[in-house]
Amino acid sequence: MKETPSQTAGPFAHIGMTPGERGTRGIAPLAAREGAGAAVTLHGTLTDGENALVADALIEAWDAGGAWARCASDEAGGWRLDIARPDAPFVGLYIVARGINIGLHTRLYFPDTDWRADPAMARVPEDRRATLVASGEADGAYRLDIHLAGARETVFFDV
Amino acid sequence: MTPRDPARHPPALTPGYFSSLHRAPRAGLIALDPEAADMRGPVFGAGDIGPMDGDLIRNAARPGGTALGPRIVVHGAVLDEAGRGVPGALLEIWQANAGGRYRHARDGYLAPLDPDFAGAGRVLTDADGAYRFDTIMPGAYPFPNGPNAWRPAHIHFSVFGWSFAQRLVTQMYFEGDPMIAHCPIVATLPDAEAVEALIARYDPDRDRPMDARAFRFDIVLRGRRATPMEGVA
Repeated sequence: MKETPSQTAGPFAHIGMTPGERGTRGIAPLAAREGAGAAVTLHGTLTDGENALVADALIEAWDAGGAWARCASDEAGGWRLDIARPDAPFVGLYIVARGINIGLHTRLYFPDTDWRADPAMARVPEDRRATLVASGEADGAYRLDIHLAGARETVFFDV
Repeated sequence: MTPRDPARHPPALTPGYFSSLHRAPRAGLIALDPEAADMRGPVFGAGDIGPMDGDLIRNAARPGGTALGPRIVVHGAVLDEAGRGVPGALLEIWQANAGGRYRHARDGYLAPLDPDFAGAGRVLTDADGAYRFDTIMPGAYPFPNGPNAWRPAHIHFSVFGWSFAQRLVTQMYFEGDPMIAHCPIVATLPDAEAVEALIARYDPDRDRPMDARAFRFDIVLRGRRATPMEGVA
């Protein structure tokens, strides 16, 4: 059998994926999956190919240990979520939104790891690797700005 | 995990669907090693499903009330590419009301909100991979994509299998809907076979007589890669 084809999540995915936000209701939010490590805050902005902020996206972070969290990008194109810091040097990120025909997989690498030695990084052209590496902040959070397209386009993976 | 066949899905850039123009990555995807795709994703279970989550007709209704619109049952199976049921798959569902209006702060369509309908649901597949929920037939609605563009009646699905590589977000359409052929988002699909795979079939055997019509929509997720050992068996 062939995989069911993808379609865009559209602009109103909050109804099913972050219920309670943007005037939606009906079901409780889906609880995050906590992992073994201490929680860490990840955040950044999400912009399109014209540098416009993307205010209607859903972003999920996950790691192979079973931790998982999601958030909607806010009206200013910002995203923020808390997830257990994994053993691996990265967490996976998954992005859907209006205008995204098939969900995008990328990674956030922690700058204080040996991310250069990760096998996936070897597949990424050297001049694009920085698009995947977060910056550490004074309060312990990590920031990664994600660019769907444009000169600083983030690397997306065929998972 | 079997590799994803890109020819089965819409390309990122589909100029006929205007929203993709600024949001489609242009550089192409970078392949990961197969082990990365075999990593397990989060596990969901019965504790994630509220008692009314599979009943969109009543889960946002006033006491004793029900949503407006034709009552339907949507059911089917979540399968892998080998045709095996995927138990414990989590399905998140969202849709417009019978007039084509979403309960969402950003939807300003002329059609009124239904005070008894939110359009949100969540269900889990059983041991055989089967799922079912009750809802109302959503309405068609216009959207900004050129001078006159309409969405056919559809239900949005977000699906979690056992691996994050199976993660799928898609939409289900209804058999016989003349709007399917006119929709710029349906037109992002690569061919007629892909469109057919998203069309739920009327399923009279599963109707609830004098209550609701049934539609069947099976969902296929990527499957496990056959190992050499399995090949020998």
